Amino acid sequence: MRRLKTRRKGEARRNFLKTVLAGAVMGAALLAKGERSEAAPAEESLSALPGGESPLLRMQRELQRAMKKPIAERNWVMVIDQRKCVGCSACRVACVTENALPPGVTYRTVPEVENGSYPEVKRFFMPTQCMQCDKPPCLEASNAISPGSMTKRPDGIVAINYRKFRGRRAFQAAVKACPYKALYYDDGRFFTDGTPAFQPYEASGSFDYGELWKRVKGQGDPPIGGGRKCHFCLHRLSAEMLPVCVTTCIGRAAYFGDLNDPQSLVSELLEKNQAKVVRIRENRATEPRVYYIVDEPALAAAYHT
Amino acid sequence: MVKIDGNPFSPCNMNPHLSYKRSVLDAATVDSALCPKGQASIQSSYDPYRVVKVLKRAGRRGSNRWITIPFAQAINEIANGGRLFSHVRGEEKRAVTGLKEIWALRDAKLASAMANDIKVIMSKKTAEEKKTAVEEFKAKHKNSLHTLIDPDHPDLGPRNNQLVFVWGRLKAGRGDLISRFTKDAFGSVNAHGHTTVCQGSLYFTGKAMSEQYVDGKWSGGKKFFWQADQQGSEFIIFVGVNPFEANVGPTFRAQRITDGLVSGRLKYVVIDPRLSRTAALAWKWLPNKPGTEAAIALGMIRWVIDNKRFDERYLRNANRAAASADKEPTWCNASWLVRLDKEGKPGGFLRASGVGLAPKESRKTSDGKGTYEFDPFVVSVNGRFIPFDPNDGKNPVEGDLLVDSEVGGVRVKSGLQLLYEQAAAHTIEDWAEISGLKVGDLVDLAREFTSHGKKAAAEIHRGVSQHTNGFYNCTAWLSLNLLIGNYDWKGGMAQASTYDHFGGRAGKPFPIGRMHPGKITNFGISIIRHDMKYEDTTLFSGYPARRPWYPLASDIYQEIVPSAGDAYPYPIKALFIYMGTPVYSLPAGHTNIEILTDVKKIPLIVANDITIGETSMYADYIFPDQANLERWEFAGSHPSIIWKVQPIRQPAIATPNETVKVFGQEMPCSLEGLLLGLAEKLGLPGFGPGGLGEKRDLLRAEDLYLPMVANVAFGERADGSDAVPEADDRESEMFLKARRHLPKTVFDPQRWQNIVGEKWWRKVVYVLNRGGRFDEFANGYDAEQLKNKHGTLINLYQEKTATIKNSMTGKPFPGVATYLPASADVLGRPVADAGYDLTLITHREITHTKSRTISNYWLLTVLPEGIFTISKSDAQRLGFKNGDRVKVLSASNPEGVWDLKNGHKKPMIGKVTVIEGIRPGVVSFSLGHGHWAYGASDVVINGKRIRGDKRRALGIHANAAMRIDPVLKNTCLSDMTGASAVFYDTKVKLVKV
Repeated sequence: MRRLKTRRKGEARRNFLKTVLAGAVMGAALLAKGERSEAAPAEESLSALPGGESPLLRMQRELQRAMKKPIAERNWVMVIDQRKCVGCSACRVACVTENALPPGVTYRTVPEVENGSYPEVKRFFMPTQCMQCDKPPCLEASNAISPGSMTKRPDGIVAINYRKFRGRRAFQAAVKACPYKALYYDDGRFFTDGTPAFQPYEASGSFDYGELWKRVKGQGDPPIGGGRKCHFCLHRLSAEMLPVCVTTCIGRAAYFGDLNDPQSLVSELLEKNQAKVVRIRENRATEPRVYYIVDEPALAAAYHT
Repeated sequence: MVKIDGNPFSPCNMNPHLSYKRSVLDAATVDSALCPKGQASIQSSYDPYRVVKVLKRAGRRGSNRWITIPFAQAINEIANGGRLFSHVRGEEKRAVTGLKEIWALRDAKLASAMANDIKVIMSKKTAEEKKTAVEEFKAKHKNSLHTLIDPDHPDLGPRNNQLVFVWGRLKAGRGDLISRFTKDAFGSVNAHGHTTVCQGSLYFTGKAMSEQYVDGKWSGGKKFFWQADQQGSEFIIFVGVNPFEANVGPTFRAQRITDGLVSGRLKYVVIDPRLSRTAALAWKWLPNKPGTEAAIALGMIRWVIDNKRFDERYLRNANRAAASADKEPTWCNASWLVRLDKEGKPGGFLRASGVGLAPKESRKTSDGKGTYEFDPFVVSVNGRFIPFDPNDGKNPVEGDLLVDSEVGGVRVKSGLQLLYEQAAAHTIEDWAEISGLKVGDLVDLAREFTSHGKKAAAEIHRGVSQHTNGFYNCTAWLSLNLLIGNYDWKGGMAQASTYDHFGGRAGKPFPIGRMHPGKITNFGISIIRHDMKYEDTTLFSGYPARRPWYPLASDIYQEIVPSAGDAYPYPIKALFIYMGTPVYSLPAGHTNIEILTDVKKIPLIVANDITIGETSMYADYIFPDQANLERWEFAGSHPSIIWKVQPIRQPAIATPNETVKVFGQEMPCSLEGLLLGLAEKLGLPGFGPGGLGEKRDLLRAEDLYLPMVANVAFGERADGSDAVPEADDRESEMFLKARRHLPKTVFDPQRWQNIVGEKWWRKVVYVLNRGGRFDEFANGYDAEQLKNKHGTLINLYQEKTATIKNSMTGKPFPGVATYLPASADVLGRPVADAGYDLTLITHREITHTKSRTISNYWLLTVLPEGIFTISKSDAQRLGFKNGDRVKVLSASNPEGVWDLKNGHKKPMIGKVTVIEGIRPGVVSFSLGHGHWAYGASDVVINGKRIRGDKRRALGIHANAAMRIDPVLKNTCLSDMTGASAVFYDTKVKLVKV
């Protein structure tokens, strides 16, 4: 657990809000979308109405709609309503299971901040991951060493080419460039190393970027020996399923969808909560694709300072 | 298996959940929420440290030296006994009594007759009369006295009772099988669960408050509890509850609570010495002094009554008719008059005949077979005394609420008056001082609580119940809820509702309880002395009793092993442990080790476990069990799930365990294999060919469980009109395809179909395809009330409790909420422990259950080791900083170690984390870490050493620091009324190492 060194309240917070909100307006993407459907139920009532529909179903329907469009017209974003995050790490563990991640690699973490003095104390949970930046500094850094190791896809996802993104050097360059500490090195370990029986489920493989990747014990083939990170569960999107951190969220804090679709839940959430929307480290001009809805923007950002 | 997701048909995972009518094929790509433990549970199955063959002890108990032996040999040895451990030094000549000999009384008719005759003995009032009755019993049964534990004390029951079966986590299905084996076939009263180590006093407060006056006596109290309806509530006070991390149901509850927060519907408060994740999102976090939970409730009750903020209309309803007239599903006895004795102490309710208000009536009992004398209760109505019947559905009676009066020379007070007097014992300022909270906060809470009509709730759990005063803490908070009459209302207090799997309801296709040829009546005093009054037994010899009796509770986990150790009320011969680890889970669980290692005190220990755990390491035999993903279970529900549900766990993967042969059938070694194997060897009735009745065999697990699924498919209406549809061809095909990887020993579709028959098969498939049965989302509420209701009298004043004596003091238990300071020993004397400056509490991180998740390595990526959390001010005072390694010491464990015997000791050392979010003076540690078994230490099997995994040993498990009762000396502190094992009333100190 990390503690806030400075208590940002009052003035500091107001200044901070200004900077954040400038970015939070999100330029073209959101405002240009114009009218939103009046018929779409407000986020709050989605699960409160008897016979209502789970936001998961709505988002899945929107996802199916988006997948019918050409890839360049999909504009994937994630929205995390920090006010609803209970800090349970279900997303983190689900991500590990979905992507068969080894020890030391986590596409998603849920750092925590404790703020205040007894008995006026608060805890904040801030799920964090690769932000799929539109101006990803990691991409330039890694490609400078290993050309083609990272690409920006037309749908917004920053993709790693496991065959090209090899070795510590390119990885460390990317890590250094990333303001979000979102990259991890796969050093070839397994959870049941050193136990009486290696367990085959660990070698069952993952489907990062739509390919089957088998990690083999004692061998260094990709993805072992390179950097790894969140890819918005690209393989699930192809199967018209939502990213697993979204489906598994027990606080219903995580949302995913196509920002080009004005009727999507993510568009609606961002518009309705404009004053509470932040992106982390907006000042780094990375244009991240993960948006947070927060009551206390200063605290939300504090972890990342 | 590589991955698990939440079931979209279940409200436990999805909000709102899918309609049950939806095609399972459409739903296949819909994943829903799941707690991290659920995700990682794959690793419980694929655990390198699983036991897959039957193990027999090769050295002294707890030496962790084992040999594998054939299943059939193990069954034979346990059934027949003999010199089973002649290979172990010191046990060369020890003869173990086999189950065959323990199963002494086999004649069902004789058992039934003896059970009735014992009731006669227990009904005698004096020792002299009891003695005469015992002599009569002995004369009548002179040819069968050898079947008894002690013919001079026939109420101890048959020698069959010397088989004790104990479990930790157990769900229906398997629970029914254990009960069938132990109680109904073997005839032992001793099948006991773990309730008191979880939230016993909460369960037994629920039981006391739900007792109904039927046929002239209080009966039918349900062992259950209420929770807040978080999907409808506007204001919830969570006291000692952590719905985001602990308990059953963070997945279910968290999304509904956060939804309420963001929409503005819900505001909530957390009362807990530690800032849990739940508290992190609360309107207010109120860190109280542990053990003062009743003081907070009583302070609020005082304010509510002083300011007349209670629901007068609800509270005045004295009987069913009055409640119906107000469309209230429940009513309470706030207005009923209680008799006071000469010293002014309340006892039983006033009855009309005694004061000449109305005569007794002779009435027919509810089964129509007998008669009883009904003596009406009395309320005051505008000062006039009116007799009434609480169950009268025709004549509404509403009573005055605050009554202190006299009738026919008898001093009487109303239930609410008695509650008020307890609340008025202190000023609100004093209550605040006692609990360590601010007066303003208590008043704010009381005002807010009474500002939302019935859409407010105060929910309690372990933090309230696991104290020496747990029962009355719980009573106080549930009484506060009664003041606003929120039971069965949307946003108020809810209870669980399940589809009956057991076939107890009318019309069900398979009434399992009646499908038991040769069923025997079990009788006698249980090893934990529950559900029985000390004074009624032939063991009564004044106060204090040798060990406590628990007439208001059951499943008293902390009493099982120590009672066997003390041979009180009798010695036991065999202990079976299923998925339980009292050593690790109980407060002061190390006291159990001393007894478990003594072969004289417990001659035979058989464990059924998936690993060699902290308790099963002391067993003589370990039978490998199936992990949760490999077996059957009917998971039931939880109170805040307002829908009727019955999730059904079913084999999803094969088990790594050896295949065994029982009744000619091949099956994986498992709980079912063990019990069926013993039943076959012993010839127990109700098992094997014809075991479930004529032409119906009980040869394997599915023979019992599939009919239960059919019962769920049938539904709750006697005419079968709410049976589920039949699975169509596509669904049926999917059912088979989804199981094509399972071996025939686990899944045999033709055999399965034959078990339930063609009539039920496709309905069974429909249910299993959806993971159980779940009512439609729209069926949560009836307008502003809950659809599934408690619907009866709730006892604000507990007459039954008030007329029972504490076996250790001889004093009657209070009948109304009261504040009793914690901590106390079994004699009620304070346990102060001067010099120990911190109160030890525990907490749960969502990543762990109490004892069984250390094998789930994915969870350890979130929190690799358990820690001590202390406040910054304590850290400064003690000179600790983050990461310091400290040892925990207490008055009953001044060395700060787990003494594992055989020369092994594990010191209780952990790292300190300094936080602001904990009350100064309190230290907490998270449960689930700090193992020394379960793969954490080396074991030797067939001479080969298997190295333990250090990751599993990391962190602290400080239960051994928890206070041993100074009188009992081998048991933790306990709540004498509600029987909770006490976790939160120990003073400790931390020293740097």
